[in-house]
Amino acid sequence: MAATAERALGKAISRNGERTLGIAALAALAVSAVLSLVVAPPDAVQGEVQRIMYVHVPAAWLAYLSFFVVFVASIAYLKTKKTRWDRVAAASAEIGVLFTALAIALGMLWGKPVWGTWWTWDPRLTTTAVLLLIYVGYLAVRRITDNPSRRATWAAVVGIVGFVDVPIVHLSVVWWRSLHQGPTVLRLGAPEIEGTMLLALLCGVAAFTITYAYLMTLRLRVGRLEEREAREALSPIVEVER
Amino acid sequence: MAPNVGYVIAAYLITAFALGGYTLSLLSRARNAGRRADAIARRRRDA
Repeated sequence: MAATAERALGKAISRNGERTLGIAALAALAVSAVLSLVVAPPDAVQGEVQRIMYVHVPAAWLAYLSFFVVFVASIAYLKTKKTRWDRVAAASAEIGVLFTALAIALGMLWGKPVWGTWWTWDPRLTTTAVLLLIYVGYLAVRRITDNPSRRATWAAVVGIVGFVDVPIVHLSVVWWRSLHQGPTVLRLGAPEIEGTMLLALLCGVAAFTITYAYLMTLRLRVGRLEEREAREALSPIVEVER
Repeated sequence: MAPNVGYVIAAYLITAFALGGYTLSLLSRARNAGRRADAIARRRRDA
């Protein structure tokens, strides 16, 4: 009885936390939109279209963060064999795929008016497309087998090996001659960007990061519920087998 | 209207639809999985 009450209380607290995080994400996204679309000035060279950067850069940053979480959770799973790490990796990979696809789509929308083309086989664009394929592959690997432990192990290996592409994507503009612009904020020395524009960009990154945290809590709840559903469905079979 | 504003509007709309759509799909997945698990548990208890 006490355990049931404790579980119910824990559930209520976590649902309230999830709701608070959702409201915080929505508020942060609204503030970021105002800063990006109203407060920040248009770029001297690119004009209004530069405002796409305030969503494109945060989406790309979140893709890096998501796959870093997949990498860490995959190592933790292989070390401890605890299901919770596999659940974290799966959740983060799914969200990472969303943000990578979004970063590519937004980049294409910026590329058409600025570069004159939707797509070019530039090192940054190509390595980002490869990154998307790697993590779509990660999600596909998770569907190959129904055995939970084998699925988690295979996925963890892909999650660790696949992360190799993240630093390649980030440094591609430094290593190779690229049409894509080089780092303007994460670079040695002061950021090469005007103050209000930097504020709008950092606010966008913060808003997307809070949104990622919210999506993670939601996706983890989905993972837990789907596991419970599978457990409930399988338990009579297990009883018969015993 | 300033040139290329259409691209900016499209970019922000795509972002809103992607994040909003994924959030709604997760909420629906959670609700459905919870309902299915409860239904299976109820059937097992009643059997």
